[in-house]
Amino acid sequence: SIQAHKEEENPRKTMEVNGFMPVPDSYDYDLIVIGGGSGGLAAAKEAAKYEKKVMVLDFVMPTPQGSSWGLGGTCVNVGCIPKKLMHQAALLGQALQDSRKFGWQFTEEVKHNWMTMTESVQNYIGSLNWGYRVALRDKKVTYENAYGEFVGSHTIKATNKKGVEKLYTAETFIIATGERPRYLGIPGDKEYCISSDDLFSLPYCPGRTLVVGASYVALECAGFLAGLGLDVTVMVRSILLRGFDQDMANRIGEYMKEHGVNFIREFVPIKVERVEEGTPGILKVTAKSTTGDQIIEVEYNTVLLAIGRDPCTRKIGLDKVGVKINERTGKIPVNDEEQTNVPYIYAVGDILQDKLELTPVAIQAGRLLVQRLYAGTTTKCDYVNVPTTVFTPLEYGACGYSEETAVEKFGEENIEVYHSHFWPLEWTVPSRDNNKCYAKIICNTQDDERVIGFHVLGPNAGEVTQGFAAAIKCGLTKEQLDSTVGIHPVCAEV
Amino acid sequence: MGWEERQVRGYPEFVRTAQSYHGRPIFALFCGDKDAEGRSWCPDCVTAEPVVRKELHNLPDESVFIYCLVGDRAYWKDPNNEFRRNLKLTGVPTLLKYGTPQKLVEEECFKSELVRMLFTED
Repeated sequence: SIQAHKEEENPRKTMEVNGFMPVPDSYDYDLIVIGGGSGGLAAAKEAAKYEKKVMVLDFVMPTPQGSSWGLGGTCVNVGCIPKKLMHQAALLGQALQDSRKFGWQFTEEVKHNWMTMTESVQNYIGSLNWGYRVALRDKKVTYENAYGEFVGSHTIKATNKKGVEKLYTAETFIIATGERPRYLGIPGDKEYCISSDDLFSLPYCPGRTLVVGASYVALECAGFLAGLGLDVTVMVRSILLRGFDQDMANRIGEYMKEHGVNFIREFVPIKVERVEEGTPGILKVTAKSTTGDQIIEVEYNTVLLAIGRDPCTRKIGLDKVGVKINERTGKIPVNDEEQTNVPYIYAVGDILQDKLELTPVAIQAGRLLVQRLYAGTTTKCDYVNVPTTVFTPLEYGACGYSEETAVEKFGEENIEVYHSHFWPLEWTVPSRDNNKCYAKIICNTQDDERVIGFHVLGPNAGEVTQGFAAAIKCGLTKEQLDSTVGIHPVCAEV
Repeated sequence: MGWEERQVRGYPEFVRTAQSYHGRPIFALFCGDKDAEGRSWCPDCVTAEPVVRKELHNLPDESVFIYCLVGDRAYWKDPNNEFRRNLKLTGVPTLLKYGTPQKLVEEECFKSELVRMLFTED
């Protein structure tokens, strides 16, 4: 019926051909959201609460290996959710080993079945995809599984997987197209390597794996793959976890190394070739040193690229409506109300320049933006003191400044760092490491010893960090922290 | 060939019937038993059934619609009954696409838009 409606509007079509797009006097929708991920869905569902006519467009371009997924975006399908579940699978493997020391007796050797785990994870993801579709339909939000791109003022073209194109107009747009993994640009990368987009639905066990990269994606994936019993190597160009507190990053790396993950430091792959076909087959990776001329060749079943993610902003027609992007990174600069340089076009989520790439941030930004648009509020998204957690085998939770950034911003003489190792009670009996778990807080001595950075390395780091993030938001000082009685026996009491 | 309906009662009969249609899309509506007058002990099932039946004409060709009575109220309330344990049902009425995570539970079954979406979309 939209198609027929468009055909009636012949004058507009003629003008479109001449390159002139008039502003329609009544739009098809109040709001069109391009991208059905964390940010996009939160914004769409919020807008529906205010009785706005909303459309969500979501489309997944298949990976070079052919992987694709349903509604929900990166977090639900190929990010946080499957990552945490597989991390949990690895932790359970460790727990099984520990359990013997606590008296559990089982004689069989414990093995892991990749397919069983992956099917369960994908099944859960499927229920989330379905849940989002029910939620949207129930709230009368129109959802189309189609690729959206701007073709003119207030107008987008949506192309579905069969190639059928439709035009839609809206008063306001929110771009929430997210990012996709970057490839190396070397021979064999797209043909033979996989990314996180493929890993969580891989229909065969990856086997002996090379993870290229030192991002949290690389370390988390390497971590759980090793935890499941696979032979894993991480190839790092320079430092680990760029942007994170480097002392903590190095501790994470050390722990992983001591627990069976191999590291090849200061090398980059220059070629990937297939030696043997199969699922998995055998791949040969040729890598060059970053500090000299040394070349190495190593064979793996699987090569997982985790060297970064690039925003999906280059092919959505932003030039047709004049939205400025950072040409080098593809990110979209916005003001503190998530507005682009074009007043009726907003953006949320991972594509934003200089903002954190986290699901809860995208959700918060999307919701508050819509409330400002339709509910007359003025609350802006607070991007300061956002807590995060890296789910490496030894989990790392953080909120606020890293030690380096604090020193840079406030000066070394105005910073006091309090730190401590701790040994989780649960680790004592199975004789697990007694000097690896670690916590530190960074205080600003010029401001009542206000806690400006919180870092913890240990089990359940995410759970521990969440409460401290709230305290930091309230302006927690060292004195207040000291006067808070600890819960015993828990890690957080440190 | 359009779609066909089968009416079954109890878990074993449901499983046998679903297996016999292996390879075809299977949709199932689970409701509480009906008494001699044809009324179910489950009031939400009474509301949902006509809504679902009105959308049946949207079923894809070759598909099967299984109308399944789960048992009496006491059987259903038992947290270990086979429907809860094996099919992971959490409530009646439940309308689902067998072998997929797609389902509608309780009040969701009252909404013809959602029923139509379940029947017609992937």
